Amino acid sequence: MSDRSAPRYTLFGLAIIVLVVAVAALLARPAQSDSQGKADTAARPANTLQSLAELDGKAPSRRQLNIQHWSTAEGARVLFVEARELPMFDLRVTFAAGSSQDGGTPGLATLTNAMLNEGVAGKDVTAIAEGFEGLGADFGNGSYRDMAVASLRSLSASDKREPALKLFTEVVGQPTFPEDALKRIKNQLLAGFEYEKQNPGKIAGKTLFANLYGKHPYASPSDGNAETIPGITLEQLRGFHAKAYSAGNAVIALVGDLSRSEAEAIAAQVSAGLPKGPALAKPEQPVEPKTGATHIDFPSKQTHLMLAELGIDRNDPDWPALSLGNQILGGGAFGTRLMSEVREKRGLTYGVYSVFSPMQVRGPFMINLQTRAELSEGTLKLVRDILADYLKSGPTQQELDDAKRELAGSFPLSNASNASIVGQLGAIGFYNLPLSWLEDFMQQSQALTVEQVKAAMNKHLAADKLVIVTVGPKVAQQPLPAPTDKPAEQPLGVPEH
Amino acid sequence: MNALARRAAGLLLGTLCLPLAAFAADVQPTHEFILDNGLKVVVREDHRAPVVVSQIWYKVGSSYETPGQTGLSHALEHMMFKGSAKLGPGEASRILRDLGAEENAFTSDDYTAYYQVLARDRLPVAFELEADRLASLRLPADEFSREIEVIKEERRLRTDDQPNAKAFELFRAMAYPASGYHTPTIGWMADLERMKVEELRHWYESWYAPNNATLVVVGDVKPDEVKALAQKYFGPIPKRAVPPSKLPLELAEPGLRQLTLHLRTQLPSLVYGFNVPALATAKDPRGVNALRLISALLDGGYSARMPARLERGQELVAGASSSYNAFTRGDSLFMISATPNVQKHKTLAEVEKGIWQLLDELKTTPPTAEELERVRAQVIAGLVYDRDSISSQATTIGQLETVGLSWKLIDSELDDLKRVTPEDIQAAARTYFTRERLSVAHVLPEESAHE
Repeated sequence: MSDRSAPRYTLFGLAIIVLVVAVAALLARPAQSDSQGKADTAARPANTLQSLAELDGKAPSRRQLNIQHWSTAEGARVLFVEARELPMFDLRVTFAAGSSQDGGTPGLATLTNAMLNEGVAGKDVTAIAEGFEGLGADFGNGSYRDMAVASLRSLSASDKREPALKLFTEVVGQPTFPEDALKRIKNQLLAGFEYEKQNPGKIAGKTLFANLYGKHPYASPSDGNAETIPGITLEQLRGFHAKAYSAGNAVIALVGDLSRSEAEAIAAQVSAGLPKGPALAKPEQPVEPKTGATHIDFPSKQTHLMLAELGIDRNDPDWPALSLGNQILGGGAFGTRLMSEVREKRGLTYGVYSVFSPMQVRGPFMINLQTRAELSEGTLKLVRDILADYLKSGPTQQELDDAKRELAGSFPLSNASNASIVGQLGAIGFYNLPLSWLEDFMQQSQALTVEQVKAAMNKHLAADKLVIVTVGPKVAQQPLPAPTDKPAEQPLGVPEH
Repeated sequence: MNALARRAAGLLLGTLCLPLAAFAADVQPTHEFILDNGLKVVVREDHRAPVVVSQIWYKVGSSYETPGQTGLSHALEHMMFKGSAKLGPGEASRILRDLGAEENAFTSDDYTAYYQVLARDRLPVAFELEADRLASLRLPADEFSREIEVIKEERRLRTDDQPNAKAFELFRAMAYPASGYHTPTIGWMADLERMKVEELRHWYESWYAPNNATLVVVGDVKPDEVKALAQKYFGPIPKRAVPPSKLPLELAEPGLRQLTLHLRTQLPSLVYGFNVPALATAKDPRGVNALRLISALLDGGYSARMPARLERGQELVAGASSSYNAFTRGDSLFMISATPNVQKHKTLAEVEKGIWQLLDELKTTPPTAEELERVRAQVIAGLVYDRDSISSQATTIGQLETVGLSWKLIDSELDDLKRVTPEDIQAAARTYFTRERLSVAHVLPEESAHE
């Protein structure tokens, strides 16, 4: 479950990008065969794989989470899972303080969030960093379209935990917003905007959101832009903090080596340190966009293609059906219709993915890929045809059954680490989902029929309503290579359910 | 700032648990054994959740490749998903997907590795699939003809259309004059254009032998069951002679090398690399561990010297970082990169001066006890935090084993770093931060070419 509505801003890491390449881990998106049912192509004896035949067919067991929930005196909602195995804990405080609350000043939310750890009473940014790092604690922050996050990971021993929490509480609740730091961070953000100009994928993404959302606050990048950032004042930051970082606007998620009473004390301490105030209202729902294609000329080797429509908000009852429907279309790393047709059968791209990003109000449905420029028009048509065909015919029974098995099988992986659990708690709290949400989602998904998935996809998507952005060079176009005509090999049956 | 990202870029390998009394948690038992065919297996128990990760690491990567055949290891990694005796092209991925597994692979200059993360009862399937493609890869020519196009798209996406990645590829080619580390893992485009499936078959037959691999399993398993499963599925694969592999050794002091690139970028940037040994090639590990501490002092957190002084104090850079990987098969590089603060009209020359001030200070002035204590606190906590992810535990074990070190180094991590004295740090700085060991790249926007 991803609770991120936009990529984290990377302003501080400009130079690091070079070094990341040094890792040189080149992931292969694995291959896969055609997933459409062709029952007569299994030309080999069944049960070639002994291990598969021996699986007992039950859904796997998973870690049971006992999610505890309460509210602080100031109105912050708290979610807690006790996990005693490792002597550490994770604290994640989520505020409805993303760029959709910017109030017409794009970048205000990001600047406020980035300034939290730049100063508190008696400590400058370096003293704060020395404080956390001297305890071995990790402070993290980030701001997106819906939410802003501040997080702490620390050892649970009280000589580490207590000073780390004291400092965290000051940083999140009583930041001093020093003027010199504001100037520096603005400059870093401006450098980040310059840096993005060399990235065709970034350019495509920004244009897509602008075209899809028009005048809605989701249209702006959460970092703002070069026109808005320079004019933002300290008074605006203080005002935004007082309003959006209030206890009533906060969700506190805690996982780790803590008792219930310790967790209550931590939540009370963090909450009491925040400004007082209520939850902020959600942004308005966006209006339907003007459909059509936009091309931006860019001197790259590849053309980046993005196709989008308005999708759903996080509380939409169709989410399980759309999630499963998208998983078959292009939601996984492999085995999807898009990956099969575009990469496997034709070698046109390294990766092609589709995604619904449910947000506080209607988030996007997007398809994203890149291909060599001279094949971009043919590839775009191919992708549109795949989507249209899928909406028209819906998934096959086999595809749906496989997707359900995949979902059940992957469930144990989703809460295996403290890091993944705290992320889930944050999202459940932020979007006001029931505590049983994970279990409910599984049950609802397993009960879906082909007709229900098809109906949900068609209710929310239409093949002729796409907003399309392409970024790449203008070159003479060539026809697509013919797909492989070999029948795809049918995988061995997975004996489950 | 994401402290975890900084830690990954700086001091620590993604380290694991330690048998230190200071930790309240029980130590996770770790076991190793070697099958008769030479396959080494390392099992670490982590019973927090009923999941398991299985990784197989082959001792082959781009540093093993010769000119004209660059990119072979990575292309073979792609073709490992295209069918083996029991499985058609893509079928293994489809089976794993239906089981809810995460799977993928990665190639680097020192290794090629494949992994599956899955519910614990499905581990036998992962083993059977992995063993089948180790024993009997098909390598169909028609699949290769499409997959090489995918690989070229990958190269365009990740290197050719990314100015910084392109610059870094050229930088490495200059900074490693003698060893295979000058080869880009994805391969030069000209070599991808002429790659033949027969070359991949030869590469596969040369290096994919059980005695050239390490199997790492971390999760909710017991060593006896893993041993039985490994024996059942991997045991029948015969041992095979593999070509001799030599450590990628570098010239100690190749001389100052400089590269100026004009690329499609808006901001200038700078890359420094000093030729230095790694743990596997150093005569004395103290110098290597001193370099690791230096990287932490420079960039091991938001309070470290580069962010505190270059980014904030002097406002010389919009961003800067250092990194040093001591856990390579051959000689390594100590790297620094930076982007000047153009809003403050800082130039590359000024940034270079600022970097040299930091490096020269390391030669003359010992770090304070407080600074070293901060690094130590991060190491201790990091050892605990890294245990939250079974995949990062497995990756650390696999990487250490594959570069010719032992996973048991994890146990001595803290002691090894504590043994480094302030004098060691000064000595390492004096030895290694010299112009004779340095490569410099200036990456400039294209407009500057006309000036």
